[in-house]
Amino acid sequence: MLEGISRFCFGASYAVALILELIQLIWPRPVQRLTATGFGIAGLLAHTAYLAVQRPPLSSQFGTLLLLAWILAIFYVYGSIHYRKMAWGIFVLPVVLGLVLLTYSFPPDESSHTTIIPALDSLRGERFWSFIHGGLLFLAAVGVCIGFVSSVMYLVQARRLRAKVPPGQGMRLLSLERLEEMNRRAINLAFPLLTGGVLVGIALMFQRGEAWDWTDPRAIGGTILWLVFALLLYLRYGVHLRGRRLAQLTIVAFALLVFALASSHTPVQGGSP
Amino acid sequence: MMLVAIGCNFHKTPLDLRERLAFSETRLPAALAELSVRYGCEAVILSTCNRVELYLARLIAPAPIDADLVAELMTEFHQVPAAEVRPHLYEQRDAGAVRHLFRVVGSLDSLIVGEGQIAGQVKTAYETAQRHGTVGPILHALFQHARLVAKRVRTETGIARGKVSVSSAAVDYVRQVFSHFDDKTVLVIGAGKMGELTLRHLRQLKPRAILVTNRSPAKAEAVAKGCGGTAVPWEQLDDVLARTDIILSTTGAPEPIVTRKRWKAVQARRTGPAVILDIAVPRDFDPAIHDGDRACLINMDDLNDIRDRILQDRLKHVAPAEAIIEQEQKKFLKEWSRKQHGPVIAQLTQWIEAERQTVLRQLMPRLNGQLTDEGRAAIEGAMRLFGNRILHGPISALADENHEGAGHTLLEALRKLFRLQE
Repeated sequence: MLEGISRFCFGASYAVALILELIQLIWPRPVQRLTATGFGIAGLLAHTAYLAVQRPPLSSQFGTLLLLAWILAIFYVYGSIHYRKMAWGIFVLPVVLGLVLLTYSFPPDESSHTTIIPALDSLRGERFWSFIHGGLLFLAAVGVCIGFVSSVMYLVQARRLRAKVPPGQGMRLLSLERLEEMNRRAINLAFPLLTGGVLVGIALMFQRGEAWDWTDPRAIGGTILWLVFALLLYLRYGVHLRGRRLAQLTIVAFALLVFALASSHTPVQGGSP
Repeated sequence: MMLVAIGCNFHKTPLDLRERLAFSETRLPAALAELSVRYGCEAVILSTCNRVELYLARLIAPAPIDADLVAELMTEFHQVPAAEVRPHLYEQRDAGAVRHLFRVVGSLDSLIVGEGQIAGQVKTAYETAQRHGTVGPILHALFQHARLVAKRVRTETGIARGKVSVSSAAVDYVRQVFSHFDDKTVLVIGAGKMGELTLRHLRQLKPRAILVTNRSPAKAEAVAKGCGGTAVPWEQLDDVLARTDIILSTTGAPEPIVTRKRWKAVQARRTGPAVILDIAVPRDFDPAIHDGDRACLINMDDLNDIRDRILQDRLKHVAPAEAIIEQEQKKFLKEWSRKQHGPVIAQLTQWIEAERQTVLRQLMPRLNGQLTDEGRAAIEGAMRLFGNRILHGPISALADENHEGAGHTLLEALRKLFRLQE
């Protein structure tokens, strides 16, 4: 029965949850938010079953995007339970849905229909380092996504404060301080992971005797992404830049991540870095 | 059942008279006891600054209790002439009284629509009456239901959204910027009266430190002493502005103390965002400082504007709240009617069934041998149908009359007509 679960099933569940969250903005009712969370959980369960049955490889864009969407769906469910009164889903669900929709641009890799994460005993030598490379980049991507969501929330909250919207009117959001903290943690976590992932990738490339190709969109995307991250950290800790500017820069980093994900694939099972 | 709500409120009664008619905590027990003894009824008294209302109920109503009687009682209690009281008293009966209480508890009848205090005041009034033994089955059921109504109105509509008092709205604004306060410093500039209440609210957030500055060091010391803070010399204002997170300004200065230029210099030394609550009139901070990110400034104009917008927004939710109240009023009356009429209807049904059996027992031996089994079943069925048709009329009449909230007379009539035991 689980084989019948498709991307449409959980995509539709997330979409219904998002629609309910949007209706909640205009017509707030506790039962509505509860139903939205219910649809979100149903989507997450279907998503989990899909990943467990189909086992799309992390070495493909298809698998990476689906796993990333799955982690963000967990983030959504956690947030909507933990911050019941906040407009959490409105910000997280579009990212989840966007990632699921993006998978339609990349057909599932039928040839490597084995497992999301390879068995430990098969991870020897270069395969092991490829796995580490892909894993680090993947975790960094999770950090960027969370940083993106918190940055968008920050900008919306700052806009509300600027317009002096009465507290409690319209959407309810976390405080600027909490959002900035969330953004800082996500970026602080993502940067070392990204750096580690990129370094392992470069080492693998040299080991294979490949030359650095500046015309390769993967190389361009990855390098710019790393530079933007380094700039983000420098501005935060070197120049003590805070607030709106930093949030805007995190959004740029997310856009670059999407570009990098769309233009390359993360080689967990031996693809090129 | 007789249920009546009699009282006066801010709509028509001036504050002066409301104050004289209010039941103080000490006199409330005596008033409840008097009502209970004099009229043999259940009683709850709701006495707040905006209303004085008596909710009275009796299962059997030999003589109605009306506003005239209540005016007499109030005269005795408060020494206010009945002629002065009576024109201000309104009277709601049965279904109307139920609706009135639900509107009151749902804060639709409040001076500030959607305010949260009234639900607690109704609860206290009920608990006081219960403690003094003047609550019976009717008012118990009614006030329990009222609690549910208040909850539904608050959660299912946006009527209670936002805070309308200046100090609460200011603190709510602070909460949109900061989430934890144990590492925050509050700076109080000036010693205005308005600032005291806001500072009291801010202290509830438990900030790490409170600094107080004033042109007069003695005043700064006094305010600091009152709030457990530290007085800072006025000359150090720029230094403390650079290291505090929440600034509460309430001076009586005729010109802004902090101009945009001055703030720019201060901001260059700051690391985190600042919330400035400028509740001074005229303003102490130049409004151009506000950027909604690093400097979040809110002044009296903004707070008044926020209050107006909240009240405006609350009005949009009045219609859905009224719909909930109507729904709950019908539900309460239906439930009450079921509770009250259930035993009588059961007795009536049993009586008809017993009579049917008696008639059948007398009839069947006479027709012995002349009837087939089918014929016997047809007669039994016809008699059951006859009984049901007889019952249909009284039961429907009871239900109809109870929707209007006065089913007790008919209930009594049915008991007498069919000789049913109480």
